[in-house]
Amino acid sequence: MTDNQVAISIQKVDFYYGAYHALRNINFDINAKKVTAMIGPSGCGKSTLLRMLNRMYDLYPNQYAKGNILFDDVNILDKDIDLNILRSRIGMVFQKPTPFSMSIYENIAFGIKLYERPSSARIQEKIETALRQVALWDEVKDRLHRSALGLSGGQQQRLCIARALAVEPEVLLLDEPTSALDPISTAKIEELLDILKEKYTIVLVTHNLQQAARCADNVAFFYSGGLIEVNDAATLFTKPAQAKTHDYITGRFG
Amino acid sequence: MLLKQAGYRKDKKIIPYLFTSLMWCGGALIFLIFLGLIFELFWQGKQAFSVFGFHFITSTDWNPGEQQFSAGAALVGTLVSSCIGVVLALPLSFGCAYCLNELMPQRFSKYITASIQLLAAIPSIILGMWGFFILVPLMSQYVQPFLKNIFGNVPYIELLFSGGTYGIGILTAGLILAIMITPFITAIMQESFANTPVMLKESAYSLGATRWEVMHQVIVPWVQKGVVGGVVLGWGRALGETMAVTFVIGNAHHASWSLFMPSNTIASLIALEFSESAAGSLKMSSLMALGAVLMVISFVVLFCSQLLLKQVLKSR
Amino acid sequence: MAQDVKKLQGRTNHLITWRFIKNRLMTVFAFSTILVMLCILISVLITLFINGLSGLSFFTLTHMTAPQGLPGGLLNPILGSMIQVGIAIIIAVPTGILGGIFLAECSNKKLSTIIRFIADIMMSVPSILIGLFVYILLVMTMGYSALAGSVALALLALPVIARTTEEALNMVPSAIHEAGFALGAPKWKVILFICLPAAKGGIITGILLSISRMAGETAPLLFTSLGNSDWSWNILKPMASLPLTIYQYADSADDTWIKLAWTAALLITFFVLCLNLIARIYVDRHRKKD
Repeated sequence: MTDNQVAISIQKVDFYYGAYHALRNINFDINAKKVTAMIGPSGCGKSTLLRMLNRMYDLYPNQYAKGNILFDDVNILDKDIDLNILRSRIGMVFQKPTPFSMSIYENIAFGIKLYERPSSARIQEKIETALRQVALWDEVKDRLHRSALGLSGGQQQRLCIARALAVEPEVLLLDEPTSALDPISTAKIEELLDILKEKYTIVLVTHNLQQAARCADNVAFFYSGGLIEVNDAATLFTKPAQAKTHDYITGRFG
Repeated sequence: MLLKQAGYRKDKKIIPYLFTSLMWCGGALIFLIFLGLIFELFWQGKQAFSVFGFHFITSTDWNPGEQQFSAGAALVGTLVSSCIGVVLALPLSFGCAYCLNELMPQRFSKYITASIQLLAAIPSIILGMWGFFILVPLMSQYVQPFLKNIFGNVPYIELLFSGGTYGIGILTAGLILAIMITPFITAIMQESFANTPVMLKESAYSLGATRWEVMHQVIVPWVQKGVVGGVVLGWGRALGETMAVTFVIGNAHHASWSLFMPSNTIASLIALEFSESAAGSLKMSSLMALGAVLMVISFVVLFCSQLLLKQVLKSR
Repeated sequence: MAQDVKKLQGRTNHLITWRFIKNRLMTVFAFSTILVMLCILISVLITLFINGLSGLSFFTLTHMTAPQGLPGGLLNPILGSMIQVGIAIIIAVPTGILGGIFLAECSNKKLSTIIRFIADIMMSVPSILIGLFVYILLVMTMGYSALAGSVALALLALPVIARTTEEALNMVPSAIHEAGFALGAPKWKVILFICLPAAKGGIITGILLSISRMAGETAPLLFTSLGNSDWSWNILKPMASLPLTIYQYADSADDTWIKLAWTAALLITFFVLCLNLIARIYVDRHRKKD
C-alpha cells in the first residue's frame, strides 16, 4: 500500500433524511486509482454516502448533509459548488441500467455534448473510445444508431458505464451496478473494473461480498449509519478487526 | 351425490342472474348511447346532406333567406380556433408541468396544481362571460393593435391580422380555448412526467445535465406518446367547446383569412341558430348535419388521443 | 473558499455558460407560465366578485326572475338548476355504477376494453352534441322539459361515474376480493357488499366532480329544458336554470340583467369550486388513511 494518493477525503460527515439521522460521523479516505468497495446490510447508509459524493441528494428537499468531503482540496458539500461541474468530474452508474430512450450513439453523445461541441468525427472517435473501454464496441458498432433500449441488460449497463466515462470524469461511482444482471454480465463488468482502475478512482457499493473481495483494493464496512471498519480487502476479509465485521462477512446477519 | 344433497349446487337463484344482467345493461347503455348519438345526428341531418351533397362541407354559403346552408365557414372556424388554442396551450401547459413537477418543491406545487385544476372546473359559460367583458376589451385596445403594428406590413402574414380591432373574433376564441384546455393538458403532462423512472433522471443528472436538459432530452423523449396524447385530447375538447366560444367569436357566416374578423365554429353556430330554426325545416336538418360533422371530427381526434394514451399505459 | 470553488470549475467554458443560461431562461419561462395561469384564475374570480357580489342579496335569492325593467331575482333558476341536477344524479349514479361494475368485472376482456374506450371518448364528446341527441330523442316527441334537460346532464355524467367507479373498484386489493369469495359468498354479494363499500371513496369523488360539471353545463340545456321565466314544479315543462339565465341575461343590453347574470355566475362558480375543493380534500384524506 505505497504511494497511495487520496482522491476524496471524507471528514466528519453526517447525513439526514428529514429528521432521520442516516449517517453518523463518517471519516475515511478514498484512494485514487483504486477500487474502494462499500459493503454492509441494507439500509446501513452505504448508498447514501455514495450519493453524497456527487450531491445526488440535492435533487430532493429535506435531505441534507453536514461535514466536509474534500475532493481536489475543495469541500464538495459547500453550497456554492456548481453541481453540474462536480458531476461531470464524478460520474455515476446505477443499480439498474438506465439507457435514455435514444440511440446508442446519442446516449453517449448526450454526455459529451454537455461539455464540448466537437466535430462529428471527433464525437464518433470519443464514442468509439468509450465503447472500447467497456468492451462493447465490437458488439454494437453496426447498430450505433438503433435504440439503446434494444440491448441486453448487461450491454445496457456497460453502455451506461461508457456514457459516464465519455464525460471524462476522474471518479466513477457504482451503486450496486450488477444487482440486476446475470452472472455472465456480472463477470464482464467485474473484469472491466480491473482495467478501469488504471485510469479512474472507483467507488463501488455492493451487496455481494464475493464481488467486493474479487474487485476491491479497499473495503469499507458500514453498519446502521456508522462506518465500522475500513481496510485493504485482503486484511478486512481475512483478519477483520471488529467483531461486527467478522459476523457480517461470515454471514451471521444481514 | 352427497354433495348435491347437501346443497352444493351451483346457485340458480334469481338475484345473481338479475345482477349480471343489470351489470351488462350498464355496459350496453354506454355503447348504445354512443351509437345512438352518431346515428341520430346523421339521420336527422340526412335531409341537408341529400339536398346539398358534398357541397355542404366545401361551400361557405349561409343564407337562410334562400335556404342555403353549409358547414364550410364554421368548419374552418372550428379548426382554426382550436388550433390556435392548442398552439397557445402547448407552451403554457408544458411550462406549468415542468415547473410543478421538476422545479418547485412539492409542498408548494401541491397547492398550485390544485389551483390550476380549479381553473378547469370553472364552467365554460363563466369563462365566456369573463372573456366577453374582460378579455375582449383588452384584445381590442392592446393586443390586436399591437399585433397589427408588428405584422401589419409583412407580406402574406398581414392578411391574418387585417380588419378592424373589435376584440372579438377567431383569435380571441382561440385564446379562451387555450385557457380552458391548458389545465387538462397540464394534468396529463404532469402524470406522464411523474411516470419517468427516478433512476433515469438521476443518471442524467449524474452526467452533469441541468434540469432543463434532463427535462427536454430525457423525460420528454421517454413520455412522448403521453404528452402527444394529452395535447390531442386537449384539441378534441377545444373542437366542441360551445359556450365560451359563442361569447367571443362574433357569429358571422363567412370564412376569412383574418384572425380578427368575427367568425363561427360549428358548436357556436348550432347554439346560436338553434332557437331560430323550426323543427323539421331544412335549417334544422342542416344544424343536425353540422352536429354530425362535428361528431366525426371529434371522434377521430379523441380516438387518436385515447390510442396514444392507452399505449403509454400498456408500456408501463 | 470562493477561490477553491472556482478551481473545481476548471472546466467552465462558453458552452457550459450558455447551457446554464439556457437552463435559467427555461426556469424563468416555466415560472412565468404558472404566473400567467394563476393571474387568469385570480382575474376570473375577482371579476366575478366585483360584478356579482353587489347583486347577491336576500331579495335576489327569494324572488323569481322578472321581465325587463322590473326588479327580479334568481329564485327559479336556482331551484331549477337544483332540481335538474338532482334528477340527473338520480339517473346517472345507478347506471354509472352499473357501467363501472361491468367495466371492472366483465369476464369478456375484449368487450370491456371496447366499452372502456367508448366511455373515455364519451367523456370528451362535445356537450352540445349530447344536447342535440336528447333533443332528437325526447324533445321532438314530448316537447321541451326539465326531464329532458336532466337526461342530457345525466348522459354527460354517466361515463365519468362509470370510469371512476371502475378505477375505484380496481384499486380494491384483490386480497379483499378473494377473501370474500373464500367465505363462499356469491359474486354479486362480494361486489355489492365488499368491493363497492371499499371503493366508496373513489366513487363519491367521481360523483362530486360530475355534479360540479353538470351544474355549469349550458349547451345541452339550450335544446332540452329551454329555460322558463316562470316557475312550475312540473318536470315535463320547460324549466329555468342558472346557466341558461346567464346565457340569456349576459347577452342582453339591460344593465340590471347583466348584473344578475354576474350574480348567477358567482353563485355557480362558488358552488362548483366548493364541490371541487371538497372532492379534493376527500381524496387527500382517503389517501392518508390507506
